[in-house]
Amino acid sequence: MSSNELIYMSAAELADKIKEKQISPVEVIRAYLDRIAVVDDKVNAFITVMADEALDAARQSEADVIAGSIKGPLHGVPVGVKDQIYTNGTRTSSASKIREDFVPDFDATVVKGLKRSGAIILGKLNMTEFAMGDPITSAFGVTRNPWDLTRNPGTSSTGSGAATASFMCATSLGEDTGGSVRGPAANCGLVGIRPSWGRVSRYGVDGASWSLDTIGPISRTVEDCALTLGAIAGFDENDHYTKDLPVPDYRSALTGDVKGIRVGLVKEFLDPKVMGVTDAVRQGVLDAVEILEGLGAKVEEISIPLAPIAGVASRIISAVERSSLHPEWLRENLEDFHHNTRVAFTTGELIPSQVYYKAQKIRTLVRKQALDALDKYDVLAMPGASEPATVMNLEPGIKSKEAAIQALTEASYRGFFSLVSGPALSVGCGFTKIGDTRLPLGIQIAGKPFDESTVMNVAFAYQQNTSWHLERPPL
Amino acid sequence: MSGLNEDEIRTLAKSVNLDIKNSDITDVAHSLNAMLEAIAQINPEGINSVEPLPIILNKRD
Repeated sequence: MSSNELIYMSAAELADKIKEKQISPVEVIRAYLDRIAVVDDKVNAFITVMADEALDAARQSEADVIAGSIKGPLHGVPVGVKDQIYTNGTRTSSASKIREDFVPDFDATVVKGLKRSGAIILGKLNMTEFAMGDPITSAFGVTRNPWDLTRNPGTSSTGSGAATASFMCATSLGEDTGGSVRGPAANCGLVGIRPSWGRVSRYGVDGASWSLDTIGPISRTVEDCALTLGAIAGFDENDHYTKDLPVPDYRSALTGDVKGIRVGLVKEFLDPKVMGVTDAVRQGVLDAVEILEGLGAKVEEISIPLAPIAGVASRIISAVERSSLHPEWLRENLEDFHHNTRVAFTTGELIPSQVYYKAQKIRTLVRKQALDALDKYDVLAMPGASEPATVMNLEPGIKSKEAAIQALTEASYRGFFSLVSGPALSVGCGFTKIGDTRLPLGIQIAGKPFDESTVMNVAFAYQQNTSWHLERPPL
Repeated sequence: MSGLNEDEIRTLAKSVNLDIKNSDITDVAHSLNAMLEAIAQINPEGINSVEPLPIILNKRD
């Protein structure tokens, strides 16, 4: 089988063919390493390519298959891991000069989960520095959107989105605080799920914001997302906030049957006067829910009045929590931050306690409105952003207070469900043309806490009846 | 709302033993004042009586 045939397969297809001995994990890893060698100069998705380790793991994986021993549903599948997630013996930098020499001596729980499922860690993926801000903040260079190299691949899991979209890994892990899995998924035409807070362990991850952080997969298909999530979800003694609940077989729950599923379309995010949504994004979401209706889902418009203010609360909460994690860095390593990250950390340190407290109270109110809505609907649907991927601003700095306020408002699209602590997923719902460039659009689907199965099944039904996920960026 | 000026922000930073680089102060002012102004304008019904989201402890704790 040619290298191209291999890299274009989904993770599920690769795992099935490896299990059936039709392909070898070694040839799969070699195909991906060849792809990285050709493409990553343009995209800069990887900070560390673990070529030797991946090939060693692939040889063992191959030997296991020959011996009839399949570790799990991702046996032999190459996975990229965001570089804030610890990998034993391999640098974990959080894309910062401050951590450029940090080599953990243990795997994050999610990495252990991937390995237990048979996955092979292909490399560590670029991100924004400490999971904040724009692609320019990475100490390892800017990651670019494979659909248009001048554009933002989505933050903060920039490399996870870019690598997966450009077929440099079969599936990947990102981390989502205020949208950092869903953003790259939307901008790169992928599927990314922010699981419920407490569904996946945060142990062994350089945290961003303790009460908002989740680790989630970014994949090309919903099925791959389900497989990857299944590998990493579950209770962990090392993360006291993980729930001791069984992990469903997410892949088996993908029936594609959405007859009678009640979908609440959050109207605030579809009103240009309220949230500034562009025509292209708005139409993409409306077209997507029309497809769900055609499949038997019941779609109704719903109002969640506090949703538009979620961004302010989520950004304040994450700013304070993030800067509280390592206050010594801002005092001892001032020059080692990117300007924008240093400004963000400093801001977090100066936010008054009463402001943080108010933001947490707003969180309670926003959450209540969302959960009340989810009593009446199985899932909520909304855009994941007001516009598709934008041309990157490569200059550091904040233009004005007004620009910063605008960014807080925009943050509501994804910050809303970060505050709710339930699952939220972005799946590609089409493309829009800007000049000569086709840019992906994404629809966000969110659900009740710990009901990842329903959220993914709705996305699966949609994806099975469309072909956006089969398109490839022009690399 | 006029927001905090740069001197006020430096004094606030001093209270937490933080020096702010000259090259950062303007952007810190933009960022901090944006958050303060934005949240000051948010006063939904029930905000004074609601408690913040509790930490949900694992039953072991």
